[in-house]
Amino acid sequence: VPAVLVAEDDPDVRDLVVFKLEQVGYQVVAVRDGPAALSAAQVGQPDLVVLDVSMPGMSGLDVCRLLRADPATAALRIMMLTARAQERDVEGGFAAGADDYLVKPFSPRELTSRVQALLARAR
Amino acid sequence: MTVAATWTFSVLLSVCLLVAVLIVVTRTARLLRSARRTRLAAAPRRALLALAADGYQSGEMDGLVALPPRYWRAVAPVAIAMLSKVRGDGLAALAAVFERRGEIARELRALRARGAVRRARAAEVLGGVRCAAAVPGLIALLHDRRAEVRLVAVRALGRIGDPAAAQPLLDCLARAEATPANLVTQALVELGAGAGPALVAALDHAEARVRLAALSAMRLAGTVSAEARVAAALADDPSIEVRVAAAALLGRLGTGSAAAPLLAATDPAQPATVRAEACRALGELGATAAVAPLLDLLDDPAYPVAHGAASALAALGEAGRAGIRQASRRRSAAGAHAREALALAALAP
Repeated sequence: VPAVLVAEDDPDVRDLVVFKLEQVGYQVVAVRDGPAALSAAQVGQPDLVVLDVSMPGMSGLDVCRLLRADPATAALRIMMLTARAQERDVEGGFAAGADDYLVKPFSPRELTSRVQALLARAR
Repeated sequence: MTVAATWTFSVLLSVCLLVAVLIVVTRTARLLRSARRTRLAAAPRRALLALAADGYQSGEMDGLVALPPRYWRAVAPVAIAMLSKVRGDGLAALAAVFERRGEIARELRALRARGAVRRARAAEVLGGVRCAAAVPGLIALLHDRRAEVRLVAVRALGRIGDPAAAQPLLDCLARAEATPANLVTQALVELGAGAGPALVAALDHAEARVRLAALSAMRLAGTVSAEARVAAALADDPSIEVRVAAAALLGRLGTGSAAAPLLAATDPAQPATVRAEACRALGELGATAAVAPLLDLLDDPAYPVAHGAASALAALGEAGRAGIRQASRRRSAAGAHAREALALAALAP
C-alpha cells in the first residue's frame, strides 16, 4: 500500500485529506508543522508528500527544498496544497522542487486523481 | 497601621480575591463549554468530513440534516469553515445540508439583521454555499456602515461569481469609505470572463483607483478583454500609475500588436516610470522588433529607462543578448546596465 505523508496545520483540511486518501486505500501519516514534516519524511520514507506552504516552524517550500537537497529523499514525489494561488506562488512551488501544485479551495476528488497520477509516474 | 489603613487594605485584598475567583470561574466555564462543544461536534464532524471529501453515504447527509440544534450549533463553525476549503461535489454536498436544514433561508433574512456580526456571518455562509439568490442582498451590504461587513460581502460576491456584481464592486472603490482595492480586485478576478465588459468599461471611470483595479483584475485573471482600450489607457490616461499598470498588462498578456503602443510609450515626452515599464513590458512580450530601439535606450539619461531597456534586451533571446553583449564592452552607463543585465540573466535558472 503506498504511503502518503500529509503536512498541514489546519486541522479541518488535514483531517479531510487524510479521510479522502485513506478512503481510496493509501496508508496516511499526518503532521501539523514543517519540522515534523521534514523529520517524518526522512524517517518514514513515504511514497508521496502532500505539503501545505504556510506552516508553523518551517514553510512547505523550505521543507520541499530540504527534501530535494537530501539524496535520501530527493526522489520523493511532492505535491503542494496551498491557498497561495498567484502565478508567482505556483512558479515558486515548482522552483522549490514540487512535482505538482494544487490550490485551495480544492476538489478532494481532484486531489486523489493527482496523487494517483504522481504515484503511477513514480512506479 | 491605622484602623483606616487596615480597613482599606482588607477591602483591596477582598476585591483582588474576588477578581481572581471571577477569572478562574470564567476561564473554567469557557474551557468546559469548549470541551462540551468539541464532544457534541465529534460525530457530526466526521460526517461533515465525509461529505466534504465526497465520500459519504446518504445516511450521513440525512443525519446532518436532522441534527438537533445544539449539535448543529457545535459543528456549524467547522461546516462554515469547510465551505471555503473545498470545491466541486464536496462543496455541493455541504451546501445541500445548509439548504435542507433551512439555514440558507435564515441567513438570507439575516443579511438585514441589526447586529453587524450577524450580517457578516450571513454573508460568509451565503458566499460559502455560492447562493446566487443572495447577490442583491450582498450588493446592498457593500454600502454597510461597518467596514468588516463590507469586506465579507466583497469576498462572498467573489465566491458566488455572478458577473452582475462586477459593476457594484468597482463602484465601491470610488466611495469615500473605500474597501481595500486588493480584496475587490480578487473578487473581480473570481467573477471570471463575465466581468470582462465591466472591467473594460471601468477604464473610463473618473476615479484612477477604479481604473487601476480593473487593470489589475485583468492581469490577475490572465485575460485582456480589449487590448486596444488598454493601449489607449497607456497612451493618454491622466494617472501615471494607471499608465504603468497598462504597460505591465500589455507586456504580460498582450499580443504582437501591443509592441507598437509600448514602443510609443518609451518616447522621451512620457514620464520616466511609464517609459521604464514600457521597456520591461517589451521584453516580457517578446517583441524582437524592439531590439534596435531598446539598444538606443541604453544611453537614456533616465536611469530606470536605461535599466529597463537592458533587462528587456536580456529577455529577448539571442537577438537581444547579442546587442547587450556588444554594449557591455562600452565604458559608459550603458555598458554598466548591459553588464548587469547579462549577469542577472546568467543567474536565472
